[in-house]
Amino acid sequence: MTRSRLCIALVAILAFVLTACGGGGSSPSGPTEIAVWHGYQDTEGEVFKGLVAQYNKDHPDVKVSELYSSNDLVLQKVLTAVRGGSAPDVAYMFGSWSPNIAQIPQVVDMADEVKNPDWKWDDFYPAEREAATVGDKIVGVPALVDNLAIVYNEKLFADAGVAPPTKDWTWDDFRAAAAKLADPTKGQYGWLIPADGSEDTVWHYLPMLWEAGGDILNSDDTKAAFNSPEGVKAVTVLQQMAVNDKSVYLDTTNENGPKLMNSGKVAMLITGPWDLSQLSDISYGVQVMPTFAGSNGGHQTIAGPDNWVVFDNGDAKKKAAVDFVKWLSAPEQVKAFSLGTGDLPIRTSVGQDQSVLTKLNENVPGTSTFVENLSNVKKVRPTVQQYPDVSEALGQAIVSVMLGKEQPEAALNSAATAADTALAEK
Amino acid sequence: MPSLLGRLSRTDTAAGWALASPAAVLIGIFGLLPVLMSLQLSFQQSDLLRPQTPWVGLANYRKLAEDPVFVEAIKHTIVYTALFVPGTMLVGLFVAAAMNRSVRFISVYRTAAYITMAVSTISQGIIFLWLTDRDYGLVNAGLNAVGISSQPFLASPSQALYVIVAMTIWGWTGFSVIVYLAALQGVPAELHEAAMIDGASAFTRFRTITVPLLGPANLFLLVWLTINALQLFDEVYATTRGGPLRATTVIVYYLWDRAFVHFDAGYAAAMAYALFVVILIITAVQFRLARKHVQN
Repeated sequence: MTRSRLCIALVAILAFVLTACGGGGSSPSGPTEIAVWHGYQDTEGEVFKGLVAQYNKDHPDVKVSELYSSNDLVLQKVLTAVRGGSAPDVAYMFGSWSPNIAQIPQVVDMADEVKNPDWKWDDFYPAEREAATVGDKIVGVPALVDNLAIVYNEKLFADAGVAPPTKDWTWDDFRAAAAKLADPTKGQYGWLIPADGSEDTVWHYLPMLWEAGGDILNSDDTKAAFNSPEGVKAVTVLQQMAVNDKSVYLDTTNENGPKLMNSGKVAMLITGPWDLSQLSDISYGVQVMPTFAGSNGGHQTIAGPDNWVVFDNGDAKKKAAVDFVKWLSAPEQVKAFSLGTGDLPIRTSVGQDQSVLTKLNENVPGTSTFVENLSNVKKVRPTVQQYPDVSEALGQAIVSVMLGKEQPEAALNSAATAADTALAEK
Repeated sequence: MPSLLGRLSRTDTAAGWALASPAAVLIGIFGLLPVLMSLQLSFQQSDLLRPQTPWVGLANYRKLAEDPVFVEAIKHTIVYTALFVPGTMLVGLFVAAAMNRSVRFISVYRTAAYITMAVSTISQGIIFLWLTDRDYGLVNAGLNAVGISSQPFLASPSQALYVIVAMTIWGWTGFSVIVYLAALQGVPAELHEAAMIDGASAFTRFRTITVPLLGPANLFLLVWLTINALQLFDEVYATTRGGPLRATTVIVYYLWDRAFVHFDAGYAAAMAYALFVVILIITAVQFRLARKHVQN
């Protein structure tokens, strides 16, 4: 009995301590302070800090403080902060989270704001705008954009007597080249694919699916469509390369790609511009992804656009935060950030600026191909809240096929059943 | 003098509580309160995003019973625990027995045995990833040298769990060595001397004197390692992320995946409580069994 009374007393003390901890207001005088959480480190971090300092200098009535927060974990941290009533004013968020972010009540809907012509909203690449849009809400402003293309080791191609990839390559050409480049005696592979079954695996497959003419979900996002004949065709290429040719290194860690590429163990990666700076020991080329012969899907790729998401912490802070992201994503700053970091420009007007492309290529060769490849982004992932479930089912199916455990059609069909169940829930 | 005694004990109680309360409050805030809140969460549907968390009663627990991946995760956890716990104890006992003697540089050996405990589980995972890499790993280079073909290890659904067992035994051996070494040093030398005079061989002495006296150490390691084994997470996160094909998805990894990748926090909380009940039962059984066998 005493024990339970003690428990009650303890809980009461706790409740008191917790309420005492909460609250706390902001000072009414002085500049409006806003907190920005971002995941930029090293060069990106320096350039970003420089931009923030510039903004603070030009806007004495606002004080922006930036805080590094690992991108992978930022959603969890933001959720905790929102629950604790101390949300940041702006946070960098992965575009794939948009449907989930749209559920957070404190997130500012930018739909009306960006209609203002001085935003030049249409100047952002279509994929970026789509990834920020959930239903009739716009949950963020583009922060960064990537896409996938072939990066190949020129020397390994020359040594094996294989002609380097061209724009005319089909997936058959890609497969044949990978087979010729693979050399088991040297531990050398033609290609490497992330194979942990996560979204990292899935997004390497999605451009293939789209190029083959397939799609992830049906038109109203209610049922899986990836188990179509086109989807099977795309997975079959992976099966042939991994199981029959054994020309692919299946990277279950998702971290070996750039290392093995840079040490000449892998001849081709399908990856984005972020890996280029790690390939300092080899001379590489960049080419757009192959096409499927006989399909009208053409060249495609997938963009991974990320967003600046604004949180509502009162009108003054909200206004300052919106103004800051507007400034940050304006063409001038986009150009400065891109040239400073080598990241792709997020606005078409900057991406089509020849002087920008030339400078980007001088800093990191191959970057301009990625910028041009942005025009091959024709589709985006569906912005439904169940996307993580769909991605999980699809990822397991792809890995299962590549490990030789299942046939493409059977694997995709059972994944589609799982995805349909998830889509029907909630 | 009962009144004085009573007063003394009263002041003692007050002083005791005064001394214990800072720790009690901290444990309450960071331990007890979250535990109670997650119990509440396990009866709710929560995506961590919306403030609305509708009460769903036992639905999360019912979903557990029907979830094939959860059943798989239980199987993997049981297999892992059944191999890891005895493995770590046996290897630890062997190493401790080998080190329980006065040879030169013994402290160097003892430090070497314990040093695996100082390696963080994440670095341990990365080291093993590279050691066991199918194409470029040292382990396969060694196998190839003796004529065995390369194994995929962590990249294979049928081998990955066993590699994690081996890896964690390596990581925890230092811990069980320390516990056993302390217990072995507590075995009175006179008993061994007396048995030696009676003509008992070294093995007989080990079996009939040392092993029975290790009872408390065995019990401690059994309980401690089992609880840790059931909560395996770091090593899986650092190496296989539950794969390939969910072959290393253990309960806590799956729980994390549901809560923070799929935003199904209520379901994950229910899973945590299911695990809690299992740990409680297993530990109770272990204590009961041990009470019969362990001499004081």
